[in-house]
Amino acid sequence: MPYIHVEQLNKTFVLRKRREKGRLFREKTLVHALNDVSFDIGRGELVGYIGPNGAGKSTTVKILSGILTPESGDVTVGGMVPWKERKNHVRRIGVVFGQRMQLWWDVPILDSFNLLRDIYRIPEQDYQKRLRELTDALELGDLLRTPLRLMSLGQRMRSELCGSLLHRPEILFLDEPTIGLDAVSKLALRDFLRQENRQNGTTILLTTHDMEDIAALCPRVMVLGHGKKLYDGALPELLSRYDTLRVMTVRYGMDTPLPELPECCRAERDGDGYKITYAPAEIPTAQLLHILQAAGDIRELTAQPQNVDHLIAAMYRELDL
Amino acid sequence: MDTIRLYFRSMKMLLRSHLQYPASFILQLCSQAVMLGGELLAVLLIIDRFDSLNQWSGGDLLFFFGVMSVTFYIMECFARGVTSFGPLVQKGTLDIFLLRPRGVLTQVICYQLDPRRLTAILVGVAAMVMGGRQSNVTWTALKALALAEAIVFGGLVVLGLFFIEAMFSVRSVKSIEVVNALTYGGRSACQYPIDIYPEPLKILFTAVAPFALTIHLPVSYILGKNLFGWPDAAAFLCPLAGGAFFLIMYVLLQFALRYYRSTGS
Repeated sequence: MPYIHVEQLNKTFVLRKRREKGRLFREKTLVHALNDVSFDIGRGELVGYIGPNGAGKSTTVKILSGILTPESGDVTVGGMVPWKERKNHVRRIGVVFGQRMQLWWDVPILDSFNLLRDIYRIPEQDYQKRLRELTDALELGDLLRTPLRLMSLGQRMRSELCGSLLHRPEILFLDEPTIGLDAVSKLALRDFLRQENRQNGTTILLTTHDMEDIAALCPRVMVLGHGKKLYDGALPELLSRYDTLRVMTVRYGMDTPLPELPECCRAERDGDGYKITYAPAEIPTAQLLHILQAAGDIRELTAQPQNVDHLIAAMYRELDL
Repeated sequence: MDTIRLYFRSMKMLLRSHLQYPASFILQLCSQAVMLGGELLAVLLIIDRFDSLNQWSGGDLLFFFGVMSVTFYIMECFARGVTSFGPLVQKGTLDIFLLRPRGVLTQVICYQLDPRRLTAILVGVAAMVMGGRQSNVTWTALKALALAEAIVFGGLVVLGLFFIEAMFSVRSVKSIEVVNALTYGGRSACQYPIDIYPEPLKILFTAVAPFALTIHLPVSYILGKNLFGWPDAAAFLCPLAGGAFFLIMYVLLQFALRYYRSTGS
């Protein structure tokens, strides 16, 4: 039995529209937030969970963490049904919402942590040890006596992470943890998550729109769209499916005319050079290079892979999300 | 025991967080005193104009005002989380409570403290003392018990009313004004003896929000008035209705929370 087991999960929300004039009742629309979603996650896995806004990602996380009850479907997390044994279940999980803080706003974060210790009934010795571990790893040592409201966004996110990991959860749900963070904080956060996953074997489900997060952290990625699971596997494989076009820019020394190119390539003038768009599947890069080199002395040549975000956008478009 | 310790630790922390802004805290203490002091002044003016209202002397009215204020503001002060349960649901804080291995109600109570109400409580106590003196109340152990019951069970009615507000905010975001009429309206109305009101209000505050049973009866007993011809025991038994009201609302709130978990926000 896998650690997290989800089978045929369904969840429908009833949206009540505002009553229109002349109608007696409000119109109701059903939104299928989740439509027969199934997946398994093993212990200690680090899984990225992506999909456009409104795809049902947060609904899944809410069901897995026991806040919401689904309509139908089997869910077990470590042998427990989350919404049936809420208190026992949430003891083992940590949840970080990028946009919702659980720590208290006006008090030093150490006070918040102490209160969480009482809420989770963490034994004092264990708590001190864990707090030291986390403050070292997240570089919070100097900030413990600073109230949350005086912190920068990055510091706040680190504090939140620390707060949700104090009770040593087996599973960590992260909902857009890097939203609004600068590059340095993002990198530090990723390092921390990787380390937490490796050292403590914490299972992590990461929901994000930041593809860099996924690329850097998650060996496995699940794509959700319109409440359905569309892909489950490695990220490079997913990308290679949509990574069909490449762009190469070439500049020659003098006014060398662009050589005759095969039909499958599209070329356009770009300043004093040429921008060539081609599909590696139709003409291998090496062959194209050969043709370009034969035409004259190349002064500058750049080849760019497509940006991950563009690929994902292309995928969403193709799948009509 | 563990829960009580959690409560006190939370309160300690919350008090410190209020003291982060000392100037504003002191000003708000003053504003609360002025606010309830103003209401007290209104009662004093009425007493000044009319020596009595039905069978109630000026001192009696003051005493009623004091008991109701103390009851209500103790709840606003120490169970502020419950009295602002509605807004907590709207802001989505409820999700965070559901993610922790504790009862939702425990966490709601531990979530907020409103120490600014302390001055309001003090004004209420002052009104009670003044009223008691003017009406020449001679205290006995039984009268003290009646007062304790009035405050405890009256407080439970207040909490129950705020539970209703919470239920409404689970169901739809903005319709709590209706319930506010019961909570804050109930407080204002029941600062006076119930029997001065017309029949519908009497029924409302007896059968729906039983302030009449939890506060009016024991206070009448303390002031030595007749209890609609009922035996004295009624002054001690009727307030228990407040406990029943609280339990019913608590159970209904559990249903509302279950509904919340099946619909989301």
